[in-house]
Amino acid sequence: MNVKSLQSHHTHYASLGSPWSAKADKVQSITGILLGCFLLAHLHFESSILLGKKAFYHVVQFLEGGMFSSTGHGFPMVTKLFSIFILIVVMLHALVALRRFPAQLGQWRALRRHMSGINHKDSHAWFWQLVTGFILFFLAPVHIFTMITNPEIGPHLSAERVYHANAWLLYALLLPAVVIHAMIGLYRVAVKWGLTANRAGLRKVAKVLIVYLISIGLLSLISYILIGRELSLPITPFVP
Amino acid sequence: MSQGRTLTFNIFRYDPQEPGDKPKMVKYQIEEAPGMTVFIALNMLREKQDPSLQFDFVCRAGICGSCAMVINGFPTLACRTLTSKYPKAEITLMPLPGFELIGDLSVNTGKFMRELAERLKLWLHPKADEVDIHRIEAPMAPEEAAKLYELERCVECGVCVSACATKQMRDTFVGAVGMMKIARFELDSRDTRSVEDFYHVIGNQDGVFGCMTLLGCQDNCPKDLPHMQQIAYLRRKMATALV
Repeated sequence: MNVKSLQSHHTHYASLGSPWSAKADKVQSITGILLGCFLLAHLHFESSILLGKKAFYHVVQFLEGGMFSSTGHGFPMVTKLFSIFILIVVMLHALVALRRFPAQLGQWRALRRHMSGINHKDSHAWFWQLVTGFILFFLAPVHIFTMITNPEIGPHLSAERVYHANAWLLYALLLPAVVIHAMIGLYRVAVKWGLTANRAGLRKVAKVLIVYLISIGLLSLISYILIGRELSLPITPFVP
Repeated sequence: MSQGRTLTFNIFRYDPQEPGDKPKMVKYQIEEAPGMTVFIALNMLREKQDPSLQFDFVCRAGICGSCAMVINGFPTLACRTLTSKYPKAEITLMPLPGFELIGDLSVNTGKFMRELAERLKLWLHPKADEVDIHRIEAPMAPEEAAKLYELERCVECGVCVSACATKQMRDTFVGAVGMMKIARFELDSRDTRSVEDFYHVIGNQDGVFGCMTLLGCQDNCPKDLPHMQQIAYLRRKMATALV
């Protein structure tokens, strides 16, 4: 087929296919899956506080490589480095996801007009992914930067951050935004690439996960607030 | 069958050809008849109440794709929508968004489909030496023919275009109908176009990589075409085309 004739015919549309179009789509999906899976693990790890201070201490000790450190507590440097890695993944994801934003007023109005005229659940779900994605531009970096500059985690150290440094406000806003964004996103990426044909089942799983993750997230946040209220400054790190 | 109900229709009225006319919603009432479709009701309204009412139809059997419109928030075919489906007996009709409005409920889907076909070159590109009218055509395997037939069922009604928020935000997006037809020729063993050729047509923001998988096409297609699987197939194919 004559590619040149195609090009001349297409000048007023998007230009000839560039390999970057495919790459951008793949990067968005891969970074999205990475972040979604990380979130699933992250929320479970931090919610181990619901099983007691000792449980959370051991989770942190294990994840920070406690078995390799002389003190047995682990290295906060691990959290620092991992946070930098997550920041890079978030930046990559945001960079390619920006292609989807209705950046022009006309596009935004077209979207709102469509939503008011056409009754379609998945389009509405995408709208909420868009809104939460926008919120995450501002909230996620705050959390990640805190973990890069102050990576100390522990039953008392985290409670101090939540209660005395007022991080609870950030977490209360970040939690629903990131959970809704990530779970709708994981559902979408699966149907997008045809990973499953059972769409209804997947949608149900996404809904259940949203409720479940926000619940354990909120309960553990309350736990940290309760622990923080009992602590007097300066705090001493928890040791079992 | 709910018989003897009075149906209330809220119908979008606007004639762009009429100087000074403004878009408005007009209310009509009609007695429901057994087995009545929105299409039948519209014909009765035009016949008995308002001869100026504009809407399209040809086959009244879900084959021509002319009578697509937005019925109570769902884009679909009027001839395949029973009025008994609406327990409140209230039906709001809007023209399909995303197309040039001819008047009232009538939109110019034909112009859009023609431009799309020319732009994406939606016809068979056979091998040059295969075109020989003195020879019998090579037979096609029944499995392949069945696969092509499944995608050929598209009636070009425009519902997938109207149901797609991506298309509404990005005017040059080819929509599910464009990708369905590309997939049809991609599957056709007689077509000489390679994956790379197809990539140059839909491997961009106007094609598979612009699709955000909102699935309005899948959920509203009156012919139940497998848009979700088809677009995913094309995306996977295109994602490995130029690497």
